[in-house]
Amino acid sequence: MSGASHTSTLHRYLAGGWALFLTRWSVPLIWLILLLLLTFGMSHMEGVFRLVEPDTREVIYRRTSFAALLGQHLLVVGVASLLAILLGVGAAIAVTRPAGRDFQPMVAQLASIGQTFPPVAVLALAVPALGFGTLPIIVALLLYGLLPIVRNTLAGLSGIDAGVREAARGMGMTGGQILRQVELPLAAPVILAGIRTSVTINIATAAIGATVGASNLGDPIISGIVNGNTAYIVQGAVLIGLLAITIDSLFDRLQRHRPLST
Amino acid sequence: MIELFDVTKRFGSETAVDGISLRVEKGEFCALVGTSGCGKSTTLRMINRLIEHSEGEIHLEGQPVRSFNEESLRRRIGYAIQNTGLFPHWTVARNIGLVPRLLKWPKARILDRVEELMGLLGLPVEEFSRKYPHQLSGGQAQRVGVARALAADPDILLMDEPFGALDPITRETLQGELRDLQARLHKTIVFVTHDMDEALALADRLVVMHQGRIVQQGRPIDLLRNPVDDFVESLLGGMDRGLKEAALTRVSERMMSFGPRLLASERVSYDASLSQALSVMLWHRVDRLTVVDDEDIPIGELSLRRLLGARSS
Repeated sequence: MSGASHTSTLHRYLAGGWALFLTRWSVPLIWLILLLLLTFGMSHMEGVFRLVEPDTREVIYRRTSFAALLGQHLLVVGVASLLAILLGVGAAIAVTRPAGRDFQPMVAQLASIGQTFPPVAVLALAVPALGFGTLPIIVALLLYGLLPIVRNTLAGLSGIDAGVREAARGMGMTGGQILRQVELPLAAPVILAGIRTSVTINIATAAIGATVGASNLGDPIISGIVNGNTAYIVQGAVLIGLLAITIDSLFDRLQRHRPLST
Repeated sequence: MIELFDVTKRFGSETAVDGISLRVEKGEFCALVGTSGCGKSTTLRMINRLIEHSEGEIHLEGQPVRSFNEESLRRRIGYAIQNTGLFPHWTVARNIGLVPRLLKWPKARILDRVEELMGLLGLPVEEFSRKYPHQLSGGQAQRVGVARALAADPDILLMDEPFGALDPITRETLQGELRDLQARLHKTIVFVTHDMDEALALADRLVVMHQGRIVQQGRPIDLLRNPVDDFVESLLGGMDRGLKEAALTRVSERMMSFGPRLLASERVSYDASLSQALSVMLWHRVDRLTVVDDEDIPIGELSLRRLLGARSS
């Protein structure tokens, strides 16, 4: 409407750009820096881990670099989460359309079953079919992460005021326009919360992929358990924890970032 | 012009609307009244096909509504509902501009139209255009709702109890504004309400519905004088009908030039209704009032006899 005040907001944003960016994203940024410092600095911390395991010859996990493990971990969780989002949000949208409404109880049920099924069991079943490596763990994480996304998308879409939908239809918006311009923007905060839960859980769960040969941050943990080396376990666990916190605080920031109502 | 021929709507085994026929002329303000569940809302929503009718035909300017594409039909019919249905994530200006945007008007034209409508409905552009619905009062939100319904300048306006959730004072103000608006715009309006005073104050034609059928329709004054049955009579206010009829007539229609007597001490505006004049007489225990114009200058007088007078038609 008023182009003048719009540009002035933009100017202010650019002028204080970096300062604003840093204050807004400071929390996830601090966690990210900590995560990267430990990932690349772990091999120089032999002194610290010597305290944990004074009698063992090797106290730093060196089979693969921590950076490579972190990358693998992110890749697995990323692919699984992306698929879970596409599938979960897509299914929830489909069953809230007039044509798919009959399937709503079924989809909600299936998603629940997906989460009650332990990922370890999924792995055990998936390995014979898909072989060792990264694929079975992606399938397990996908199934495990589906429920929060489906449930929250359903809740978000059904929580929209009936009058808003009625008006949207009455004004002559098409189904697609209502979905894109009204339903999804209004349900977005709730959907985002579901994705956050799903991704955070999966970062921790992905570690079990190391048992079927998917190399990620679970490797040092499994190897530590097998060899009785607590230092390895701590190294893997700390990095997974930091990664989970970093991603979670990132989502926290995203959820609070509401450019509309400011 | 809207025409309904023998229209029926069934939900499962239940008949919500039972073979009604209705004709709303161009520029007419038609109010559908009745108790809740009588089918008035369903009837309204069948016109813009939010509900599809089961039997019969509904015509818009002589063409069956089913011959139009659903969305384009709705885009040429204004629609306002009780709880406004404003989009909470859009500003007031964007909400109002919805239908023009759907119709792909050029940006500049939408902007002009939105500002014009905000002016028309008493919403200062600087103050309101960038506000969000949750920052508005009930009356302001409903004004935005009406502006949105009028945005693409539709010939037909469907209103489903638009003022039902407002407090009495705001409701009366908005009723007055709608009446003035209609006097200028001459839209064809179908208005659903269960508030009989609202219907009497606004409508050119009353359509009384009961259990899915039209029981009676006609000019408000005719229904007040000759209700077909006890239901219509009680809906119209029973013993209060006299006052409701008096509310439909202005003092100016009954006033006389000054008689030989002194001016009566109590005054009434020429624009007041007969029921208000009667109330003034009751309050002051007098049987004669001086009628004054907008500047409070006496222009005639009204006696109780004259007020009760012979019915004009």
